[in-house]
Amino acid sequence: MRKPILLCIAFLGLAVGAYAQTSSPCKIPVNLERLAAKASEVVDVNLDANMLQFAGNFLNKEKSDEAQAQKLLSSLKGLCVRSFEFDKDGQYAAEDVEALRTQLQSPLWSRIAGVRSKRNGENVDVYFRMEKGSVTGMAVIAAEPKELTFVHIDGFIKPEQLAGLGGQFGIPNVEMPSKPAGKAESK
Amino acid sequence: MNRLDNELRNAMRREEPPDGFAERVLARAAETKHISRITIFTQPVFRWALAGAVCLLLAVAGVEYRQAKQERARGEAAKAQLMLALRITADKLQLVQEKVQHLGNTQRY
Repeated sequence: MRKPILLCIAFLGLAVGAYAQTSSPCKIPVNLERLAAKASEVVDVNLDANMLQFAGNFLNKEKSDEAQAQKLLSSLKGLCVRSFEFDKDGQYAAEDVEALRTQLQSPLWSRIAGVRSKRNGENVDVYFRMEKGSVTGMAVIAAEPKELTFVHIDGFIKPEQLAGLGGQFGIPNVEMPSKPAGKAESK
Repeated sequence: MNRLDNELRNAMRREEPPDGFAERVLARAAETKHISRITIFTQPVFRWALAGAVCLLLAVAGVEYRQAKQERARGEAAKAQLMLALRITADKLQLVQEKVQHLGNTQRY
């Protein structure tokens, strides 16, 4: 008599687990929740494809940044941002950043740009996930003395759309050099 | 010709209505008016049904309005989250772009 009930519970558990897995836009595990207690400001954005489309309905096409966002949204499956801002330096460990980088060491992911600044202590890595010659995801790990940010964009991204991100959202555009530099080491 | 005149005169001659004709006509008219007023619209059941329908309509409209308002609030919150996420992403990409550009300029000169 108990067997069917247990089976039902197990099935429900699996279904809920599967739903939770598919519904989470952050496909890269980010175990940084414990940093939230130390952070003075936490940004935690999780938007799956449905929420992105839903949010897209409220964008104003007459505003340039929102119009730019609308263009990006059409092919995105998820957007996940975790950002922690601290009052003091050294509130997160190098292992926390390394754990994030390790997640992006699969063959699909390539580190396309990295900034290491000894002067400012800014370390930013940009990763692309390439599938069949197309960019199907992007991740950014930005580790600064008082700030740790992880961004994961899931979905097809056109390079021109990425270029469009600069000069939008209140950030001035910076002309990229004609010869692409793969890695910048600023000391 | 005289015969035709006489026949016409007979046919067209003024004839007084029978006694009480006007009263009977007025009474019948009043009765018809009264009968026509007793329709489904004057029934109490209909009035109650109408009041109920109006209340239901108002309730549905209220729920719809509330849902639309909540939907809008959720949409605006999602939009704010999206714009914040893109702003942070753009900020970090801009940082990389600046460094790459700076390095490019340094190498050029």
